[in-house]
Amino acid sequence: MIVLDPAHGGVDSGSQISDTTVEKNVTLALAFRLRSLLTARGFSVVMTRDEDAPAVPNAAGSALTLDDRAGIANHAHAAACLVLHATRRGNGVHLYRSELEASGGQPLVVPWLTAQAAWIPQSQLLESQMTSAFSRSGLALVASSASVRPIDSLTCPALVVELAPSGDDADSINDTDYQQRVALAIAGELLFWQNQVQPPVRLSATARETVGQTTPSDAAGAQP
Amino acid sequence: MIQRHQRILFWCLVVCIIGMGVLLAVERQRGRERIEALADEDQAPLDAPTAMAETVTLDLANDADGSIAPASRQIALPQEPNARARALIDHLIAEYALPGSAHALPPGAAVAEVFLVPLPLVGYTTDATSSATKDGGFRATLPVAQSDPDPVQPKQPGGELAVIDLHSTFVNQHPSGVEVESLTLRSILGTLHANLPQIEQVRFLVDGQARETLAGHADLLRTYPAADTTSSADAANGGQSN
Repeated sequence: MIVLDPAHGGVDSGSQISDTTVEKNVTLALAFRLRSLLTARGFSVVMTRDEDAPAVPNAAGSALTLDDRAGIANHAHAAACLVLHATRRGNGVHLYRSELEASGGQPLVVPWLTAQAAWIPQSQLLESQMTSAFSRSGLALVASSASVRPIDSLTCPALVVELAPSGDDADSINDTDYQQRVALAIAGELLFWQNQVQPPVRLSATARETVGQTTPSDAAGAQP
Repeated sequence: MIQRHQRILFWCLVVCIIGMGVLLAVERQRGRERIEALADEDQAPLDAPTAMAETVTLDLANDADGSIAPASRQIALPQEPNARARALIDHLIAEYALPGSAHALPPGAAVAEVFLVPLPLVGYTTDATSSATKDGGFRATLPVAQSDPDPVQPKQPGGELAVIDLHSTFVNQHPSGVEVESLTLRSILGTLHANLPQIEQVRFLVDGQARETLAGHADLLRTYPAADTTSSADAANGGQSN
């Protein structure tokens, strides 16, 4: 199972890539390409939205929040969660993992705002392997860490994939060949990744108290 | 034949005219003396500058490769820590507003204020043992530590939390994107860490209010650690670029 989160959507257009292109459309287009390639490789794919407006989860009229997206991803128990963004700044692909420090394991009650901490080693490994995959594909790459919601709340190996133009022209981000190369590199790497993913160690109640990861306030906002 | 009362009126008017002329001459002389006195004061040497230019390190971002590199600048900074932190960030943002900047940001004031708060953060409670309630009805207060042990504990004695209040005009004009927003925040964090090592943690406000993101991506609600954010330090932690 792979979760794809095409960021933004609906009234939230994201950044303005060019006069005619907004971020929400680029992320959705890349997500569709990835879904096709992943499905062809035998993956089940969950997308947090597959149209312009985000899916409305339960209550009528409620918009899909970042926490809703994290909830969808966490319920999927995915081998990898990819949050897709796009920008006109820079070139190639920008790859980010969460900035949280790795915890010793996953506590019984998962703190919502730092749920990713238990998965940081797996996310780092996925980032490292994805970096190699992009290098083999000859794509320009920046790999680092960033604090971009909702990645800190995800309970899966999670990365932010930000697509930038392939050249000086901002509209080159819409180039189908370019997007296909990026999607192929990601899908190919995930095929290897599915056999390596390991869930984090579950901490016992005693260990949790020792580690001190969860506070009463955190527990109140624990994973739904 | 001129009548007597007309002659008296004539001479009275003459006396008034002469008197007014004398008064005008005296006032003119006084005005001239005042102007000369002011001119003499202006020629006095200016006060020596209160702050000497010093070498500071700015962590400058580069959009092309997502890197942050330290750069030295000679800048006169105030001594007061809050003003010093604000001046540092103002110089940093001004650097990005220069033509040809590798991380172009809109010109203009970015920071409204910087507040440095000693860690750990404390609250106040009434002192039950105080007898001050007899007169005014108020008890003395005692500082108490927060019940939440994380993330407001100092790593070193004297550690401080910097609360940076950004102008909404700066935030609203900031370019949108994960990389460009993260680089701005990391650049600020690294610059503060390099020049004011007592700052251990940083929070951001916009016009005095909490705001979700800088320009749609980078999280502004969390507390950031002030640390070395240069690319060499990032590479040591696993970050890399082709």
